[in-house]
Amino acid sequence: MRNVIRLVWFDLKQELRPPVWIVMQWVTFTIQLAIYGALISQLVTGVSNYQQFYAIGFVVMMTFDMGSHTGRHFVEHAHEGRLPYLLSLPIPRSKLFLSIALQGGVELALMISVPLAIALTLIGNLSVISIAAAIATLFCLGFGVAGVMLGLSFIAFKSADLYTAITVGLSSIIIRFSTVLYPFIFLPPGYAAAAFFSPLTYGADLVRFFLGFDTSMLLNPTYSVAVLTALAVSTLGLGALLLQRLVEGVKSA
Amino acid sequence: MYAVETQNLTKRYGKTQALKGLDFKVDLKEIMVLLGPNGSGKTTLLHILATILKASEGTAKVMDYDVAKQPTKVRQILGISFQEARGFWRHKPADILRFHAAVCGVPKSKRDSTIEEILKDLELWEARNKLFMHLSGGQAKRLEVSKLLIQRPQLAIFDEPSSQVDLRGKRKIWEKILKLREEGSTILIATNEVREAEYLADRVTILDQGKSIVCDVVKNLKDEITGGDIVELELEPGPNNTSFQEELKQIPGTVSLVAADENRCKAHVSIAEAWVPKMTNLCSERRARLISVRVTEPSLDDVFLHFTGKALEAPKNA
Repeated sequence: MRNVIRLVWFDLKQELRPPVWIVMQWVTFTIQLAIYGALISQLVTGVSNYQQFYAIGFVVMMTFDMGSHTGRHFVEHAHEGRLPYLLSLPIPRSKLFLSIALQGGVELALMISVPLAIALTLIGNLSVISIAAAIATLFCLGFGVAGVMLGLSFIAFKSADLYTAITVGLSSIIIRFSTVLYPFIFLPPGYAAAAFFSPLTYGADLVRFFLGFDTSMLLNPTYSVAVLTALAVSTLGLGALLLQRLVEGVKSA
Repeated sequence: MYAVETQNLTKRYGKTQALKGLDFKVDLKEIMVLLGPNGSGKTTLLHILATILKASEGTAKVMDYDVAKQPTKVRQILGISFQEARGFWRHKPADILRFHAAVCGVPKSKRDSTIEEILKDLELWEARNKLFMHLSGGQAKRLEVSKLLIQRPQLAIFDEPSSQVDLRGKRKIWEKILKLREEGSTILIATNEVREAEYLADRVTILDQGKSIVCDVVKNLKDEITGGDIVELELEPGPNNTSFQEELKQIPGTVSLVAADENRCKAHVSIAEAWVPKMTNLCSERRARLISVRVTEPSLDDVFLHFTGKALEAPKNA
């Protein structure tokens, strides 16, 4: 386990030297919420406080981005020639995978810490348990998305362009066809059917459920818990299996 | 027990076959050099042994551990210095080595002193706090080699350990590799540099197109070439030099003669002391004028040429 922590810390130092990109994410969130969120909430009538709804949606989108980043990061390792080095270290593949997942988790925690604190302050009047449950949901979603992206990253070993096209396309669809920015009950039937396939729908609705949003606008929380848990476990399991069995460094001659 | 043993090792990348049923053995505590041109399968073999790549067929063992079935055990006793050091752009050399030493189990009490010693020996001490992306190619390569010198694994694998490094740096790296062997490590080196192979090798395996062509100690490989001496001739440009080179082939004791161009050639001869006077006599008879005559022993490049029919290194004056 010591080597897993060493690996996570070693990688994090590189990622956070300097931590500009994380700070920029916080700034973007703050500006977006203060200007766009505040103005758009004046126009939206169906939701009692759309700025709060939007704030949580934005945090969920950031969680999704961070999960994608973890998958992309793995691909970059391979293309920068770092993966062969990691694969040659005396660390079992399962622990190597764990370190990738943990690093993603730590980066996720860092990235959403400030936005989530702002969103929670905006909502106010929350219990520790509801906050903890919301955070757990975000992590579950983050790991699930990271698992999907890690699974897809194996495409990148064949073609980096194909991987980029798939992940960008997938990201656009998964975010738009979800309840991140609009409640499920307001979605037209076609959109609602598509939203059922987006993990962000379950993540966003479950976080809102724990934070006391109007339950009539949200999906059944039991259903969301089941979907998110299944997603995180299955995709991370798949990623670990692929790393264990399939991954090879770089083609060499 | 062998340090490395492969049987029928095959690696395919789609339709390309990088290794073709390779049988290969490395004795404990020897320095084995894999000599071959780019694309001969050297790096693929090293990566399979380091459990980075998986073989398509065949088996490979390191100290009796099967690389496919016991990869973690293999990684605990082996270290690899890659052909190119990449992927640490925003780390400092000292941090990279500290991390590597810690992960590879170098005792904490020895880490800092060993790192300092190696960094100083390889002239990286001044650069220890630079970011990796600001190192020169030679510095990055020396840093890559340093990882193994600090780790001191039972099997140390070096992929072109001194490429991109100046001559002075090469010498230092080679001395360090020899010291590593003295301390008990088995060394496996892939290179296409003849000088590196000659300096370091106990035994040399010549790889070509994914196959082991021959494996022996350097002296035996050189003795395999019929004709113990090599005479390199350079003639003053003249109209009859090509026909003169043909006549040189007829001198008794000439085993073979390879023309680099119409004015330069390399003759493999049985005894240079007997052949050179005959050659100079022929020169005066044919009024050919010599610019230089150089008598050498066969190099590993000549050995490679002998076994594969092609030169490993480009002619120096070409």
